[in-house]
Order: sequence, then structure tokens, then C-alpha cells
Amino acid sequence: MNIFLKDIGNDRLVTWDYLIDDINNSSIYNSYCKSPDYYTVFKQIILTLLIDEEIILLDSDFTESELINLTGYSDFEEFIKPVDKSKIPILNNQKELLKKLNNSPRNWKITLFTSGTTGTPKKVCHDFKSITRFVKATERNKKSVWGFAYNPTHMAGIQVFFQALLNGNTIIRLFGLNTKDIYTEITNNAITHISATPTFYRLLLPYNGTVPSVERITSGGEKFNEKTFKQLNQVFPNAKITNVYASTEAGSLFASKNDIFSLRPEYESLVHFENNELLIHKSLMGRTETSIGEWYKTGDVIEIVSHKPLKFRFVNRKSEMINIGGYKVNPLEVEEAISTLKGINNVRVYSKPNSVLGNIVCCEVVANRDQVTEISIRKFLQSKIQEFKIPRLIQFVDSLSTTRTGKLKR
Amino acid sequence: MKATILEVFNTIIENRGNKKLESISPEMHLKYDIGFDSLDLAELTVRIEADYDIDIFEDGIVNTVGEILKKLEKK
Repeated sequence: MNIFLKDIGNDRLVTWDYLIDDINNSSIYNSYCKSPDYYTVFKQIILTLLIDEEIILLDSDFTESELINLTGYSDFEEFIKPVDKSKIPILNNQKELLKKLNNSPRNWKITLFTSGTTGTPKKVCHDFKSITRFVKATERNKKSVWGFAYNPTHMAGIQVFFQALLNGNTIIRLFGLNTKDIYTEITNNAITHISATPTFYRLLLPYNGTVPSVERITSGGEKFNEKTFKQLNQVFPNAKITNVYASTEAGSLFASKNDIFSLRPEYESLVHFENNELLIHKSLMGRTETSIGEWYKTGDVIEIVSHKPLKFRFVNRKSEMINIGGYKVNPLEVEEAISTLKGINNVRVYSKPNSVLGNIVCCEVVANRDQVTEISIRKFLQSKIQEFKIPRLIQFVDSLSTTRTGKLKR
Repeated sequence: MKATILEVFNTIIENRGNKKLESISPEMHLKYDIGFDSLDLAELTVRIEADYDIDIFEDGIVNTVGEILKKLEKK
């Protein structure tokens, strides 16, 4: 039995044959995709690729007001359309499906939302070529079994999905499961590859056993520390551990064994540095709503380790985005949401370093205490923004702390 | 000490809109018995650190109430 997806969180065990039958029998599709079921998301992506129509991925936990902000709609029923059967011949097997997928669809594009710098998340579009740029489809990779440890509607998850899909691999869902189930799934399914945030790995540790099946561990999204690295080496003795630098706009760009990155020769002309900030050439980018010019400023500050050959490490981010276990939170977006609550006079959202998630969102508010409480702020925010964006520590103050220049201090 | 920890737990639980705990015991598992997710655990570290000046997750994830109490007693 050739498994396409196993997801114990949604009680799914889907074979490649089932997937192919399901696609052959699909008569409707929706360009907007919002579902907590990984299979539904994956199938929608494949179906839209085959009929060459766009797909817009929405987090399943977006609140109604986030959806309206992002798309103008809170309900997507009206976007259900019939599948144009003339575009897809009946598929007989996995080989035919993969062949058809690889005939680069021309109009297909995938839209994702990423934390923007202005307060609301921004739209990023990729076509088939840009989203699969880093997929390695080789004979060796055909045997991989992927542990899926990202949200399926985020860039990192989509990249893992395509790597697995185009190699005809099995995907085992690990994201959102508890530690015990994660180890059981890795062991029972002999997972060979895992890509996840450092937080995901941190939550797996400490562990007394060893898991020999894993050959490759990739980590990205936030800085990987030495201690986690050593502990992982003990748990996964046969795994090669790699760090990647990636962004929603460009996907994964560089990989390294430790925190020092070097450039592959083909990228040398597509990357440059300005005042130690990393700039990426537009040809490596997905399309965004705002024009980015020739070079895209990543906001990531680097330190050059050696000039020839060029080696560098990431020092920090210029932007004020808060990284919560690999999820980016824009403090401005959270401040905007809080300030719409009656009784709030002023608010400052900031981050505090945290051993579990890397960072934790905190805020200070100036408020009429008889009108608002910590619980009323949280309740209000639950209808406005996703759970991970809600400050975990709310402090009531008489006035906000500011820096000497009068700017709010984060 | 157990009483203060219970209070910290209940602050987190109440903030998430869930029902408060009446008591805790050392064998209770933070995730399976109390129902904390990684965001709750992150908040727990910050609150305990504010009270006791110790990062309970510094050496990896702690699983039970008893393990937290042990860490705090050591201090």
C-alpha cells in the first residue's frame, strides 16, 4: 500500500490510489482554501494545479475580521466552481499524476499571507516555477518519508509538501500532535526527513530513546541553538542536521550546517549586502502587491565571517517582527487590534525572550481600569486575531515606556 | 509553594477562558492532564520566572507538576 498522507490528528490514512480516484471524481473546486484538514488542503492544491486555476490559502484559524481584512469576505461558499473536466484526463496512477503536475501549469498561482510590516498581513503570490525552485526530484529522494511539521497553509509547509509530492513520497503529519504521538509516528512510519522550526525540536527534548530512521533534519525560521543541536544529535544519531534561511517572499535560500552560511555560486549575483542588510534580487521573489524594485530588502542583518569565499551569519532583524516559535507576529497589527477596544487609551506590544518559543508577546496598556480587565482584553482579541498573536502578559501602566528619542521602546 | 504554582496555573487557565483547577498534584502532566499547549508553557515559564527568578525550561521541557516543584525547591 503506497501511502500519500497519514494524519492521525484528523483520522486520515490516504493512499496515492485513493487520492487519484478522489481527483478523478472531483466535480467542484474552490480557489479559496481554508480547512483544518491537511488532506483537503493538499488535494485542493493538486486539483487547482491540474486545472490550472489559482489557489488562495487561508489559515484555518483566521478570525472573521482577519478574513474580511485580507480578502474582503468571511465566507467562501460562493466561490465554488465546477471543474472543467476537459482540462484533466482520467489519471490511472501516481506516475501519470506526477507527469501531469510537472508539465508546468501556466496560469496557476498560489497566494499565501505573511505578516506584513505595515500592520496587516500581506499577500504573496508564487507560480509553479518559483514555488518548486528548490524541489529536488531525484531517484534517491523517491524513498523519503516526510514528517510534516509545519502549518500546511504557510510557505515552509508548502515547500515541504511540494518536495514530497513531486518525489511521490509519503507524508506523515506531525505538526500540532503531542510529543508522545510525534515519536510514535516517526518510529512506526520510519520517517526519514523532518523540516521544522527550532521550537518544534525543542518541544521534543529531552528524550531518552534514539530514532535511527531519520536521515535529515532541517531547521529554520529562527536561530538554532547549540544545545538543541547536541541533544538532537543524540536522539537522531543518523541524521544530518541543517539550518536553512527562508522567507515567505523567496522560500528557502541558503542552508548551513551551523550558524555560518555560504552562498552557492549560482546565487552570488542574486544576493548583495547593503549596510550589512541582506538584499535579494527580484528574480528570486514571489510577486507581492507592492512593487519591490530590483532588490528586495529582507530586513535581516548579517555579519560577514569571511570575504573569499563569502561566509556570513545572521545577527538580527531590522524589522520589529516578533518570532513566536517560527510564527511571525507584527506588533503593530496587535497594537491596532487592542486599541480598537473601548476603554484603551494607549498600548505598546513588545517581545520577551522565552526558552520554549524563542519569544513571547507581551503588552503594556494604559486603560480605564473600570472598563477593561486582562480577561476582557483577551476575550476581545480572540475574535480579532489568531491565538498566537494575543499577548500572553498584559500589564496595566499609567504611561508607556518610551526610548529617549520618544519612540515606543520594544 | 504548591499554592502559588496553582495560582499561576489558574491565571493562565482563566485567561484562556477555561475552568480553574481546584488542586494540583506532583504526578499531573502539564500537557495531558492540565491541557497546556506550547503557548501556555511559554507563558508559564515567564510567570514562574517573575516569581522565582528561575527558568524552568532552561534545560529542556519539563513534563509534570512534580518536576517544576523539584526545580523550585532546588533553588
